[in-house]
Amino acid sequence: MLRSREDAVDVVHALFVDLIPRWSKDVDLPYLYRAVTNRCLNVLRDRGTRARLLEREQQMATPIGRVRLDDEVVGVGLIAKLADRLDEGHLEVLVARFVDDMTQEEIAEHLGISRKTVGKRLDRIRDQVISLRTEAAG
Amino acid sequence: MANLACIGEPISWLRLERYALAGGDTTIREHVDACAACRHCLDEIQRDVVALPVLAVPAKRRRWWRFAVPSFGVLAAAALILLLLLRPRAPHGENVVTVKGVGKVIVDVVRERAGTIRDDVRTFKPGDRFKVIVTCAPTHEVTLDVAVQETGATQPDRPLAKALLVCGNRIAVPGAFSLTGDKSHRVCVRISDQATACLTLAPE
Repeated sequence: MLRSREDAVDVVHALFVDLIPRWSKDVDLPYLYRAVTNRCLNVLRDRGTRARLLEREQQMATPIGRVRLDDEVVGVGLIAKLADRLDEGHLEVLVARFVDDMTQEEIAEHLGISRKTVGKRLDRIRDQVISLRTEAAG
Repeated sequence: MANLACIGEPISWLRLERYALAGGDTTIREHVDACAACRHCLDEIQRDVVALPVLAVPAKRRRWWRFAVPSFGVLAAAALILLLLLRPRAPHGENVVTVKGVGKVIVDVVRERAGTIRDDVRTFKPGDRFKVIVTCAPTHEVTLDVAVQETGATQPDRPLAKALLVCGNRIAVPGAFSLTGDKSHRVCVRISDQATACLTLAPE
């Protein structure tokens, strides 16, 4: 998601540093996924970090993008732009669908929301992407 | 690799991670065998086995009060114990003695004057009646021998018969006595032939 191994390692490290003192046994893979996603989103919301990541992304290989958003591979740049327009719930759905390649059913189960809500959020995400493109074109 | 497309519904990274960890899901295996894009992702997961650098957990700074609170507690407890041990104890009067097998025995008197009973006096006038009161730990038995001796007298009087009492709180020794004269009297009680408790009654 961050397209930077070093930053990803930092995020995972920070998560475990916070988790270890708690000695919680309720931590499973989906939880870690979601926790890491949220921390990555926080990194992208940070404008200073975002600029550095965007600059670095130019040199990085483009992600595979098995699931695309209107034929566009969702990378750091698009998430960063959408981060200013969408709330956390929408961003989580965005990442789950277009970065983690989850189906709508998986997203609903993963985030504990209904599939209908997932669909609504994906529609809104598309609206924002269209809006971004219109602004860029205009 | 950016042009790789999945042949159907892509297997999510989360499912691929689980498959890489535990395997067993034939649906995923079949899909991955047929789909280059998902196989590439699975390969990426399986290749990514490089252990993360050793996690340096920063030692949490323990705040001073975390040490201080228990320390204060220990200090307060120690101070309390010291206070209890070193507190100035009220000196036992002559009327309090310790008898082996019984413990502390307190001897006191009550005075009856013209129908008024008081237990906090040590004075007498002719006509007053006194009763001896004993307090000791319940269930014990003590023998009591009361002797009254006027100041200057060579021999004590024994106005009350020797008694056997079951201990309790302010148990009255059977019988009563009166005092005459203008000199102090010592009332002494011999308890179980082990100890003697005394008190002085002065004339008004």
